Amino acid sequence: MTAVVAQAVVNGLLIGGIYALVSIGVTLIFGVVKIVNFAQGEFVMIGMYISYWLATLIRLDPVVSLAVSMPALFVCGVLLQKFMLRRVLGLGDMPQIFLTFAISLLLMNLALLLFTANYRTVQTPYTFSALRLGPLYLSVPRVIAFVLAMLLSAALELFLRTTDLGKAMRAAAQNRDVAMLMGVNPDRVFAVAVGLALALAGAAGSLLMPFYPAYPTAGQQFTLFAFVAVVLGTLGNVRGALIAGLMMGMAESLGVQFVGADSGLIVVFGMLLVTLAVRPGGLYGGQTL
Amino acid sequence: MVSNAFAIDILIRVFLFAFIGVAWNLLGGYAQQLSLGHAAYFGLGAYTSTLLLIRAGVSPWIGMAAGGVVAAAASLPIGALCFRLRGPYFAIATIGTAQTLMLLFLKFRDFAWGAVGTTIPNLGNAPLMMQFTAKAAYYYVALALLALGLAVTSWVERSWLGYYLVAVGEDQHAAEAVGVNVPRIKRDIYLISAFLTGLAGTFYTQYIYFIDPNTAFSFNISVEAALVSIVGGIGTLWGPVLGAVVLEPASALAQSWLGGGAHAGVQLALYAVILIAVILWRPTGLLGALTAVYARVVRAAPAGVPGTGRPVRKGLPLDG
Repeated sequence: MTAVVAQAVVNGLLIGGIYALVSIGVTLIFGVVKIVNFAQGEFVMIGMYISYWLATLIRLDPVVSLAVSMPALFVCGVLLQKFMLRRVLGLGDMPQIFLTFAISLLLMNLALLLFTANYRTVQTPYTFSALRLGPLYLSVPRVIAFVLAMLLSAALELFLRTTDLGKAMRAAAQNRDVAMLMGVNPDRVFAVAVGLALALAGAAGSLLMPFYPAYPTAGQQFTLFAFVAVVLGTLGNVRGALIAGLMMGMAESLGVQFVGADSGLIVVFGMLLVTLAVRPGGLYGGQTL
Repeated sequence: MVSNAFAIDILIRVFLFAFIGVAWNLLGGYAQQLSLGHAAYFGLGAYTSTLLLIRAGVSPWIGMAAGGVVAAAASLPIGALCFRLRGPYFAIATIGTAQTLMLLFLKFRDFAWGAVGTTIPNLGNAPLMMQFTAKAAYYYVALALLALGLAVTSWVERSWLGYYLVAVGEDQHAAEAVGVNVPRIKRDIYLISAFLTGLAGTFYTQYIYFIDPNTAFSFNISVEAALVSIVGGIGTLWGPVLGAVVLEPASALAQSWLGGGAHAGVQLALYAVILIAVILWRPTGLLGALTAVYARVVRAAPAGVPGTGRPVRKGLPLDG
């Protein structure tokens, strides 16, 4: 019994690394630009398709294609901010919510038109290999995904804490007007923040590819998990999103193990509703970045 | 009146989604509480009448009213939870509640057929059981529902509730400061909105003779409810109707041109492009655009208050 629980916790923790990566992106955009990105999961889906096509056409390993998906999505993010999000800043809830929501619908359905609804998978030499750790089995592609996800999260945290641009980003998140008076260029900071958030989503997509199928609506689940994680971890808080992302993974995995195969999402939504009822400000109670 | 079955089907969809949009608009437009989970009430209405019909032989006409009541009752705990949140948080929480209900109906197979769903037993022409051999009959039922929705909205607009709602929609804190009981106003309008959406669920199930969790609690229902209102003109009486009149035929035509099944993404991709265009260039929707054109033509009034479709009250136009 303990071995079953431990195995479920470990599995959940490993996939939780991916949830954390997606959630950090959502929370970064919300913290800096004050927009909730309903399309974050669709950028994960785009990252998956980039890795899928690179693996299929030129036999590039999905983990290596991180080097393509991350810069490509960074550019997407900068363009998204410059041409779309920027135009609805400060316009109230309706345009802000429904713009990214419409982008999500558009990307999902364009993917459906271009690539059909077929599940596409990539077989790597390590897809089915596992490490043995006492009574536990650790799937190799999931371990790789988890380790790289944690490294990328740490790199982002380091960037936000040590570089001038990162500090400017945190300043803009705390108080945009004061940051502007201190000489922070909001256009540049916002564009980089959205770019980084999308690059993380792209990374999540590439890291998923060795063990997760790509299909047009693949991203939706990640958006929903990320939303629960950012509400749980306080919207706008990177560390909160990381911890909550890992918790989501474990909750889902335990739900599947003990309630039933189709119950992971019920457990996760249950957590959302309990969080809202008990602690609507999230774990970190209102602190951002 | 209309003989072509395809045209009647489109008109029924126009009326139905205009009605759902009108119901959504009470909460999302007037009170500015942007729900993305109205499928919860659509599904509860649909399942209530179908369960009553198949398990107890109750006429869907009674089931429809019961479905509305169940949906309205469900809005109370859901609202109590979700209204703790503002703006995007609220939208996320409403998605969560609708998805949770869908998952529950998928999971509990013994109670309501689970993922396979069920068909409505076909009784031929049985008006008392909301079944008609003539499609035109459904057309009148949908039209009657829309008329009901518009009558309710028009009543709300003219009552004290309407003024309170607009105050809540514009600035909750200011509304609270002048003595509006904001939680109660939100609860009441959510109740009405959920009740109407529940009626739509019953009608749709009777119309397509089938129910399963994925259609009854479909995220697309939540999306279209908001979409027709925003595209037409959010927070206005006729906005959702105009939105449905434009969107439903456009999507039906796009699908029939491109061959429906093979291009399942066409409809939603088209909606998404229209929605992005409206948000970036015409946030007051088509009704707002028409009003602005009308105002320019007759040179009478300046454009309305953005997002409300109501005229600007303070200040006079300089050239008037």
